[in-house]
Amino acid sequence: MRVTGTEWVVGPDGRAVYLLGVEMAQRYRHAVGSSSPFYEGLERGVLRSTRCRECGASWFPPRRFCEAHLTETDWYDLPGTGTVTAATRVHSPPPFGGIDPPYILASIRLDGVTGGITHRVMGAETPEHGAAVVVKFIDEAPAHPLLAFAFTVEGVTP
Amino acid sequence: MTPSADNAVLVAGVGMTPFVGFRNDASVRDMVAEATRAAFIDAGLGSSSTIDMGVAAYESDHFNRQMSLGQVLSDTVGLTGKPVIRVEGGGATGALAIRTALMAIRSGEARSVLVFGGETNGRSVDRSTAIELLSMSADFEWETPVFGTFAAPYALMITEHMRRYGTTAEQFAEIAVKNRRMALDNPLAHRGMSITVEDVRSSAPLSDPYRLFDASLLSDGAAAVLLATGDWAERHSPTSSDRPPVAILGSGSATDRPRLSDRPEQMFPHFAAKREASTRAYREAGIDDPPGQIDLAEVYDSFSGAELQAYEDLGLCPVGDGGQAAAEGRFDQGGQVVVNPSGGLMGRGSAVGATGIAQAVEVVSQLRGEVTAARQVPGARIGITDTHAGVGSLSVVNVFGMVG
Repeated sequence: MRVTGTEWVVGPDGRAVYLLGVEMAQRYRHAVGSSSPFYEGLERGVLRSTRCRECGASWFPPRRFCEAHLTETDWYDLPGTGTVTAATRVHSPPPFGGIDPPYILASIRLDGVTGGITHRVMGAETPEHGAAVVVKFIDEAPAHPLLAFAFTVEGVTP
Repeated sequence: MTPSADNAVLVAGVGMTPFVGFRNDASVRDMVAEATRAAFIDAGLGSSSTIDMGVAAYESDHFNRQMSLGQVLSDTVGLTGKPVIRVEGGGATGALAIRTALMAIRSGEARSVLVFGGETNGRSVDRSTAIELLSMSADFEWETPVFGTFAAPYALMITEHMRRYGTTAEQFAEIAVKNRRMALDNPLAHRGMSITVEDVRSSAPLSDPYRLFDASLLSDGAAAVLLATGDWAERHSPTSSDRPPVAILGSGSATDRPRLSDRPEQMFPHFAAKREASTRAYREAGIDDPPGQIDLAEVYDSFSGAELQAYEDLGLCPVGDGGQAAAEGRFDQGGQVVVNPSGGLMGRGSAVGATGIAQAVEVVSQLRGEVTAARQVPGARIGITDTHAGVGSLSVVNVFGMVG
């Protein structure tokens, strides 16, 4: 932490009030923990998730334990295809950077699992509800590992 | 079913600061002290010694630059020695704090609870820092890497609402116009404005279809309410016997999956937790015809379309009819239910920890007939507050009404 400066300014009632400029930078080693096998999948170009060893229920995002029984789950590969529920053109960059706005963001229901992901769709056109999309690995040195991939609308070359 | 003053949890006092873009003359503890002092005066209290406990409402250690703020605020308002609980529930923080106090009184743990909340969400935090901090309200592992502001998931929800029900951008722009106009009549509001639907639609794009004027404000502010049993109010709050008592008639809360994209597709454009929270709150309050029985509602208009969706999920209109209701002004001043007479988050503003409490201040003041004439809902007897975290991951609905 550091004090970047101090100043006297005029308050709403006309009296002088004192301000401190403060700067803080936080740094972390963020453990993705039980999601680690998902990132292992990204390194070989597949999306992965988990299903319950007991009841067979599956989810995306992956879960450490079955949500109903808190029993063990196993990892498996997803086909990497899905269907758009809704999409929007976003006009500001994501916090880790890595995408220049405007860009297309969609809610995608993933095949082979219950659930889905909010993620980027390549190209300038906003896909319609029901559009079929497929994952595409686009960046070997992404600003965030999750940006190693995006989706493309099937049959459309971005 | 209206509770009698004997067994009801009463609102003995309310107070708030103005919500503003930057209080350069006040820390968050100063603002909470000001709001609490206003609630003390409102309740006619001479001292804090008779209050059993405190509930401190704030969302973010980062925005407020203080961890363990609950104890600091508790000390500031004269409750040192008394128990205090810090409550956090994202955008629903303030309402959840009121609900926590209600549960404490209902359980018999306390007879009087002071709820105080504040946040410095305004310009003391520079814009890029604010965006970075707020982006952590999304799922940090699965969402934050792909979108930075909540305009994006709200835009996805309303896009699907538009497809299913024919809702239009002009319809939710009417809400952005309404709430800013309402705020012109609220002297404590952050920024009332007289704008048009065209102004909303031509403002800067955030995430299609949302534009800058579809979004709400980030404010500095604080609010406080004092909840108590009827016995306690009779003994310690001289002003409470001079006016018709306002009680909490019901409270409900529920959660939903925090991420938008793994919710059941059928519910994608809806706030499932809001439906459940309001259903529970209405059941407690004996409300079976929400639009017929509720006179006013302070609704979580984080985005204009979120208010439109809330009309439906709070049962104020049929599902799919929110756009039509907004276009007709059904929830404007003089309408069936007056929604956001304070100006809402768009006009009064939002200081997260204080927001749900400030909504309660507005509703209680309306029920007592104490607000400025222009925004007074005539003859109001029942009002609700509605807040949620994220895009509806946690919802809290509190119902206030006259007793006796």
